Amino acid sequence: MPVTAVVCTIKGAFVLRGGDARDDWRIDGPLFKGWKATSALRGPDGRWILATASDVYGPAVHVSDDLENWRQIENGPAWPPGGERKLTQIWTFAAGHGRIWAGVDEAGLFVSDDRGESWQPVEGLNEHETRGGWFPGAGGLCAHSLLLDPNDRERIWCGISAVGVFRSDDGGATWHPKNDGVPIVIEDKQHKNIGCCVHGLSQDPNDANTIWRREHVGMFRSRDGGDHWERIENGLPSRFGFPVALDRSTGDLYVIPLESDEYRMPIDGKLTVYKSSDGGESWQSKSAGLPSRHAYMGVLRGALDVDHETPCGVYFGTTAGTLHVSNDAGESWRQLDCTLPRVLWVSVHAGD
Amino acid sequence: MVSVRIQMPLLLSGLGQVPTDLTVEADTLGGALRALVAAYPAVGVHLFDESGGLREHVLCLWNGANSRWFEDLEQPLAAGDTVTILQAVSGG
Repeated sequence: MPVTAVVCTIKGAFVLRGGDARDDWRIDGPLFKGWKATSALRGPDGRWILATASDVYGPAVHVSDDLENWRQIENGPAWPPGGERKLTQIWTFAAGHGRIWAGVDEAGLFVSDDRGESWQPVEGLNEHETRGGWFPGAGGLCAHSLLLDPNDRERIWCGISAVGVFRSDDGGATWHPKNDGVPIVIEDKQHKNIGCCVHGLSQDPNDANTIWRREHVGMFRSRDGGDHWERIENGLPSRFGFPVALDRSTGDLYVIPLESDEYRMPIDGKLTVYKSSDGGESWQSKSAGLPSRHAYMGVLRGALDVDHETPCGVYFGTTAGTLHVSNDAGESWRQLDCTLPRVLWVSVHAGD
Repeated sequence: MVSVRIQMPLLLSGLGQVPTDLTVEADTLGGALRALVAAYPAVGVHLFDESGGLREHVLCLWNGANSRWFEDLEQPLAAGDTVTILQAVSGG
């Protein structure tokens, strides 16, 4: 199938289009030139939704049916007028069961029941009893990772930095911290079940209880929907990194480790993807075709995605603006002929 | 009401929903901005934040005078006045 990837950068979005072989790429853009494009998603109905932000003009949500004609939503996610909270960025979208969810900075969650035309705050999380103990990470106080149970519309997971993971079992009405087994990095005086710095989440669509969690302090897995977490770092060269992506066709996992939270760059200047084909029990380096020296960029939490084709296509962008693609499940890589602005997010869709 | 000119920054007009140069009918500076948002609702979130005021780094000039020099935006307008929206960013 042809593949389309929307690459969101700090100065606009770019669209990659590749044919069935995924070995020849056309790059179009920038869309939203000069704006930060912060997240993008193709919904189940085929409509693309994309978030922009600006330090001057604030955030907004845009929709398109063809990636060419865009319309800004007038009633996007918003904190109440006159309140203390300010909406600075929309970090992520998730769509399923007829709803679209948006995680934002200043941390909160919003939901739309009309294809993104209007948004309501998810009070159960936004006004959570632990909120007074929420502390921002280096990227701000942001709700950046969302998972939806494909078989149960009531179950939702939300990752907030540097707070942790919350799960709702009732469609978003109530939320419970799910951080047992993950070290707390910022301990709150009152609430002892938050203070974790989650970086990224991925989920097995065939078993929503199996979740992988990229954390500031390591790589974790839960087999019970987040009730308990265990370390899975056999073969990883470091504990630090941001994105984690799952190929739902094979169950293969992909991560991109960086050297510690102090340095946040490829170890020894060698950009390397790590892959697991056993659910995270072990990890193998996959670096053929990736820069093997003098590579000191980062890869941010939203900047890695897969196309779920056979073999799986894997795509990521870097803070140096480089794009790297694999059409053989990470066994070999190719750097595309472009240098974009700092890449924040990559969203891939296989199909017309 | 009088007819006044509004000049918009390229980033906002680049969203495709407001021209770079337009005319509105209004009595006051604030009224001109309200007329702008009424005509182009998507612009509102980019000019005003949760406080209801102009975003911190949005600059609004009335015939070249910074709107922040005034107590409020209810300055009476004259026909042919120009309101310019800019981003208040300097330095390199």
